[in-house]
Amino acid sequence: MKTVLVLGTGYSKCKVLEQRLLALKQEHGLEFDLAKVTDLESILSHGIMMTPGLVIDGKVRSVGTVPRDAQLIQWLKEDLQ
Amino acid sequence: MKEWTKFALLVAAFLIFYFAPINAPVVTDSLMAGLTLLQEYARLHVLTCLVPAFFIAGAIAVYVKKDAVLKLLGPTTKKYIAYPIASISGGILAVCSCTILPLFTGIYKRGAGIGPAVAFLFTGPAINVTAILLTGNVLGWDFAVGRLVAAMIISVIAGLIMAAVFRGHDRKNTETGFATGMQGDLPYSNATVIVFLLLQLGVLIGFGLSIEPLLKGFLLSAFLAGIAGIVIFVYQREDNLEWIRETWDLVKKILPYLFAGVFVAGIIEVVIPREFVVGLVGENSVLSNLVASTFGAFMYFATLTEVPIIQKLMGLGMGRGPALTLFLTGNSLSLPSMIVLFKIMGKRQASVYIVTIVLFSTAAGWLFGKYF
Repeated sequence: MKTVLVLGTGYSKCKVLEQRLLALKQEHGLEFDLAKVTDLESILSHGIMMTPGLVIDGKVRSVGTVPRDAQLIQWLKEDLQ
Repeated sequence: MKEWTKFALLVAAFLIFYFAPINAPVVTDSLMAGLTLLQEYARLHVLTCLVPAFFIAGAIAVYVKKDAVLKLLGPTTKKYIAYPIASISGGILAVCSCTILPLFTGIYKRGAGIGPAVAFLFTGPAINVTAILLTGNVLGWDFAVGRLVAAMIISVIAGLIMAAVFRGHDRKNTETGFATGMQGDLPYSNATVIVFLLLQLGVLIGFGLSIEPLLKGFLLSAFLAGIAGIVIFVYQREDNLEWIRETWDLVKKILPYLFAGVFVAGIIEVVIPREFVVGLVGENSVLSNLVASTFGAFMYFATLTEVPIIQKLMGLGMGRGPALTLFLTGNSLSLPSMIVLFKIMGKRQASVYIVTIVLFSTAAGWLFGKYF
């Protein structure tokens, strides 16, 4: 199972991103583990400084924004093959 | 919350309601002053300044491309570019104060190094767009500009000092950079975004102009029409929604605390004796600036609340110099933030940073009080 990471110190937008991912997972029947990274050092170790960050299967996909659903689903489908 | 704590809180509330001397003049005066100031803000500043300012900040968060700025704070950037960029980028990158620490740590450990990181850390909260606009609207544009310029100059000085004192640090962190370029490029030209922001700024400033009502109405409608034009014909629906969402997010985060801060500021005027303020920070001496600087360094101000509080302290006789000093340290340092800094930077670096900021803010306030 591949991992999707949501990186953020836990303010509102990180939660929004997390919820959207979970909703998309259900809606499209995707298979992945969703994990949250809240520790500043670990967030930085991905090179991410603007939260929320999104890392899909080890690849940094977005930084500092909550991407749109269409974009998210495209990335998820590409990376989770 | 444990059941016992709830009980204790309720009992405490009961005792306060039972015994509070609500007819005592100091209580009625305080409540009255708090409410009066709230009304003043509601009538004079909310619609004409805060609402447009929040929309501007929201637009910066959504439409301004942050990647380009971030790249300039990377490990390979020339220092003479990194410092000035770091000192102004807070206004673009950190629309909300909760993003400052991750950015600071990133620049510090993986980017341009300790100097630019410190410059960013100091100006990030200080050149917040809404804060500058509210300062101008409430206290006058000389204060807004003074605050902005002083913060930028001090940040570069503090950054250079830190870089000189802790020269050894930077050699370690050249190997990595940070992730940029993944924000999903928006299909709008820079010119569009700049015009969009300027039009909004025009609305905000236009409201405050004391010119003929007819001309004012015409100007404001022209600006608003321009904004509407861009929103309807250029920007995509989803981005506009994002803009509204971002703006609403900021309002939710800031406005409740600001209202509470305004109320408290009103009370301050009643409970703090005038002689006390005048004696401590009434004149523009080095000592009174140092007092204001140290007080600001420890005191925590929620975003924007520094404005009504300093406004009322000035009403009680605080000098212009110490007021500017308080703006400088009040925003950037507080007891909670110091604790975090000690954790991230270590004892020596954090102490040098804090002392530098306190001293240079004192100097800046003193100069401001003397010459402006």
